[in-house]
Amino acid sequence: MAKTLFEKIWDSHKVDEIEGRTLIYIDRHMVHEVTSPQAFDGLRINKRKVRRPDLTFATMDHNVPTTNRSLPIVDQISATQIKTLEKNCQEFGIPLFGLDSPYQGIVHVIGPELGITLPGTTIVCGDSHTSTHGAFGAFALGIGTSDVEHVLATQCLVLDKPKTFEIRVDGKRKNSHAVTAKDIILSIIKKIGTAGGNGTVLEYRGQAISDLSMDERMTICNMSIEGGARAGLVAPDQTTFDYLRGRKYTPKNYDDLIESWKNTLKTDDNAKFDKSFIIDASQIAPQVSWGTNPAMTADVTESVPEPAEYARGDSSQETAAKNALAYMDLKPGTPLTDIQIDRVFIGSCTNARLQDLIEAASIVKGRKVSPKVKAMVVPGSQQVKMEAEKMDLDKIFKEANFEWRESGCSMCLGMNPDILSRGERCASTSNRNFEGRQGAGGRTHLVSPIMAAAAAITGHFVDVREWV
Amino acid sequence: MGKVIKYEKDNIDTDVIIPGQYLKLHDYDEIAKHAMEGIDPDFHSKVQKGDFLVAGRNFGCGSSREHAPIALSQCGIKGVIAVSFARIFYRNAVDGGFLLPIEVDEETYKKIGNGDQIEVDIGTNQIKNVTKNQTYAMKPFSEIVAKIISAGGLFKYKPD
Repeated sequence: MAKTLFEKIWDSHKVDEIEGRTLIYIDRHMVHEVTSPQAFDGLRINKRKVRRPDLTFATMDHNVPTTNRSLPIVDQISATQIKTLEKNCQEFGIPLFGLDSPYQGIVHVIGPELGITLPGTTIVCGDSHTSTHGAFGAFALGIGTSDVEHVLATQCLVLDKPKTFEIRVDGKRKNSHAVTAKDIILSIIKKIGTAGGNGTVLEYRGQAISDLSMDERMTICNMSIEGGARAGLVAPDQTTFDYLRGRKYTPKNYDDLIESWKNTLKTDDNAKFDKSFIIDASQIAPQVSWGTNPAMTADVTESVPEPAEYARGDSSQETAAKNALAYMDLKPGTPLTDIQIDRVFIGSCTNARLQDLIEAASIVKGRKVSPKVKAMVVPGSQQVKMEAEKMDLDKIFKEANFEWRESGCSMCLGMNPDILSRGERCASTSNRNFEGRQGAGGRTHLVSPIMAAAAAITGHFVDVREWV
Repeated sequence: MGKVIKYEKDNIDTDVIIPGQYLKLHDYDEIAKHAMEGIDPDFHSKVQKGDFLVAGRNFGCGSSREHAPIALSQCGIKGVIAVSFARIFYRNAVDGGFLLPIEVDEETYKKIGNGDQIEVDIGTNQIKNVTKNQTYAMKPFSEIVAKIISAGGLFKYKPD
C-alpha cells in the first residue's frame, strides 16, 4: 500500500499496539533545564534508570544568561535550575553541552548542527518547538514532563497515530532574498489558523520547499506547532544529506545510510494525505504579525485590519481581534509600515542560525540602528556564534549598535533577564506573539530576520523588498 | 460540585496560563500562585478546590510546558471545559493525571455562565448546571483516555 513519509517512519518505529494506541520507539531524546527536573525526580523516587543515556542529549538554553558567561548567574532560581540539570546528567550518565561547552545552544539548533538529528528517526524533547527537527525528514514532537520521564525510563512513547496533512508550497518566491522561509510559514499559518493542524503531522512539499536550505526548512518546521500540529516534516534530499555530512555525531556509515534513505524516506507517488493545503509561493510577501497569535499576520504592504473584516462573520474571532488590537495598542487601518518599534530581537530556535544572521547582517552592514531602538542579536548556539564571528558578522552588528550576545532562548520567552518592559513594542524573529510572552505587557510583532534588521535601522516596519 | 470560572476567549495559550518567567520554579504551590496571571492576576485567589475553568476554542495552545495543567490543578481546578484543546495540553493534562480536559460544543460553552455551580459526571458524560437547572452533554473521552484518567495518570495506568 502506498504510504506517506510520516506513515513509513511511524510503521518502522512501532514496538507494540496497546488498546488502540501505539508504543513508538524513540531514537533521540533532547533534554533541557526547564521541563526535565520533575522527570528526573520521578526516576529517583521510583528507583529507575535512564534506559538509553547514549541516545539522550542535554543542554541548557531557556533561562541561561546571554551576557558574559564568566560571571556568576545573578538569578538564583535560574542558577539552581541549571545546576540541577548538571547534577541530573552526571547522576544518570547523560551527555551535557553545558554553559562552558563550545556546543551549548538552543536545543533545536544544536541537535541538527551536531548531527544528532537524522532522517527517518523519531525525536522528542520537552519543548513544543521540537517540530524543528522534522526539517530532516524525522518525526519530531514536543512532549510534557510526564512523557519526558516515560521516555527517559523506557525510550518509548505511547501515541495515537496522527492524521497526515500535506502542505504544498508550489512555484517559486518572487524575490527569494526578501521573501524568506519565515514569510512562507507565517503565510501558511495565517490561512490554516492556529488550530488548523491539530491532530496531524504536516508534510511540507512542493518546489518552493525543495528550493530551501536546511536552515530555512528548520524555520518552516519549527512553526508547525503554531499551526496546531505537533510535528511537521520535509522529505530528505541532497540538501539534507550535504548538511549532515561530517558533523560531530554523523554516523560512520553515512554513505550507506544515504543510499537507503534515498530509497525509503519519501512519500509514495500515489499515497493519500488526510488533508491538503496548497499555496503559491510567488504570491507570498514579507509578513508582519499584528495580533496576539501567529495567525494574526498580514503582508507588510497591508494595514492593521478591522476586526470584523478579519473575522469574516465569526464573532469569537472578531472579539479576539478586538482584544488583540487593544493589547497591541493598534488602530485598524494603520499601515503596518507606520508602526514604530522600540526593540528588535534577532534570535530563537526559529531564526538564529547562521543563514539568518548572514541575511540580517547584509541589511545592517554600513547602517546604524535607529537611535530610539534597542536591538540585539542572540545566536542560536555557540557554534553559530563562532561561525558568525569568523565571518565578522559580529563586527557588522556591533558597529550598527546591535548588542551581540551569547547563545540561548533569550527574549523569545522571557525566562532570563532579556525581557520587554510593559508597553514596549518589539520586532522579533521568534515564533510566538502571545500576550506577555516576551515579558508582561510587552508587544511582539513576528517577522523574518531581514525584516527585523530593516526595522531596527528605520525604527518602523519597511517592505524589505525595496532594499534587496 | 464546583463553581465555573469562565473566560470568553479562544486560543488561551500556555504563556497566559503560566508565564515563562515562572517555569524556573520547582515547587508546584509556588507555580500555582501565578496561574492565569497573563489575563487574570487574581485567578489563584478565586479558585476553590473542585472548580472548573471554562473557555473557548484551542485552549492551551503553544508550549509543551506541563507547568500549565499543573498550575491550574494545583490551584484547585478539577477540569477545564473548552470547545477544543491544543493537543499537547490535552495529553499533559491526562498523562500527568492533573485535570479533566472536557470538550463541549459551542452552544454548551455559551450556556455555561461565570459563577454557575456545575457537576461533571464522566460516567454518563453529562454536565449538570445546578444554578441554571440544565444538563449538557460532554464529548466522551476515548476509551484509553478514560482508563488513564480513572487510573490517575499514565504512570498509574496498567494495560489490561
